[in-house]
Amino acid sequence: MKKSKDPFEIAFEEQDESPPESPTGPDENEAQTPLTLDVSGDDDISNNLRPAVPSTSAAASIPVGTAGPTGKSKEEDEEEEEENMDVELGKLPSSGDPDKTAIMQTILSQFTEGQMSRYESFRRSGFQKSNMKRLLTSITGSAKISMPMTIVVSGIAKMFVGELVETARIVMAERKESGPIRPCHMREAYRRLKLEGKIPKRSVPRLFR
Amino acid sequence: MNASAGLSSKVRVGSSQPPESSFKRKRGFFQKDLQHMMYGFGDDPNPLPETVALVEDVVLEYVTDMVHKAQDTASKRGKLLTEDFLFLIRKDSPKLNRCTELLSMNEELKQARKAFEVDEEKLSSIE
Repeated sequence: MKKSKDPFEIAFEEQDESPPESPTGPDENEAQTPLTLDVSGDDDISNNLRPAVPSTSAAASIPVGTAGPTGKSKEEDEEEEEENMDVELGKLPSSGDPDKTAIMQTILSQFTEGQMSRYESFRRSGFQKSNMKRLLTSITGSAKISMPMTIVVSGIAKMFVGELVETARIVMAERKESGPIRPCHMREAYRRLKLEGKIPKRSVPRLFR
Repeated sequence: MNASAGLSSKVRVGSSQPPESSFKRKRGFFQKDLQHMMYGFGDDPNPLPETVALVEDVVLEYVTDMVHKAQDTASKRGKLLTEDFLFLIRKDSPKLNRCTELLSMNEELKQARKAFEVDEEKLSSIE
């Protein structure tokens, strides 16, 4: 997995125009308690988070300061050359409300290594536009697949994967199993989503697989 | 063994669609993307290959069914438009919000790129 922690930190720093150093200790601790509930997925992480906060925030602020200028130029290049949604890292500002982005910044500054890596994968992962376009063309049979349509379908598909994985994790928690997700969990997750009606039903059953 | 298994699972002949372009999906079409995505959503850093393969099948089927449903609503109008997909997910507000966000971001990027090109032209004309 990629290691770059900086683009995230830099994106938020850039957009808020605030000094790289995180706010003073007491403020963080106050703000932190309600936030850890949102952030932590596992109990382990939330327990480790509190004692680790001062050290991670200190550690996080230092690389941001030094990597700032180079990170910024990279962001600009990405924005101008690439079309993909990686750019949202640099975008973030005006349309969102300042409260939300401030909260996000606080949360992100307190992420552990593992959390940051997972969050980065979450933000950066996506279906390749070219692949999705080819797939849509083959399904529809027509050649006119516009770029916004590709973007929309990719977004929908990604969120669907998210629902699948999250439901599979819930299934695993109920069965008190751990480790990587296995196909049996995935099938159960799919079955539950079907019951919830989140899967489009085929009016004509699929005959030949 | 591989050839017959590959053919039966990859070429969808049963649906009432016009002949597809020569697009035969090999195994692991979305594999790399899916691995990162699944990790991002909560799976292991290295998801099991069989799980990834299953998710790929599920997603492909999901997208296919979505497109067919969108085409059903689009057939009344004629062309398949982005709005048809948005209509499909209208009840699912997280997806709908995300899609509108993506579309507006795309617009912003387009405007930004256009502005950048105009600036470049100005610069080159000055020099």
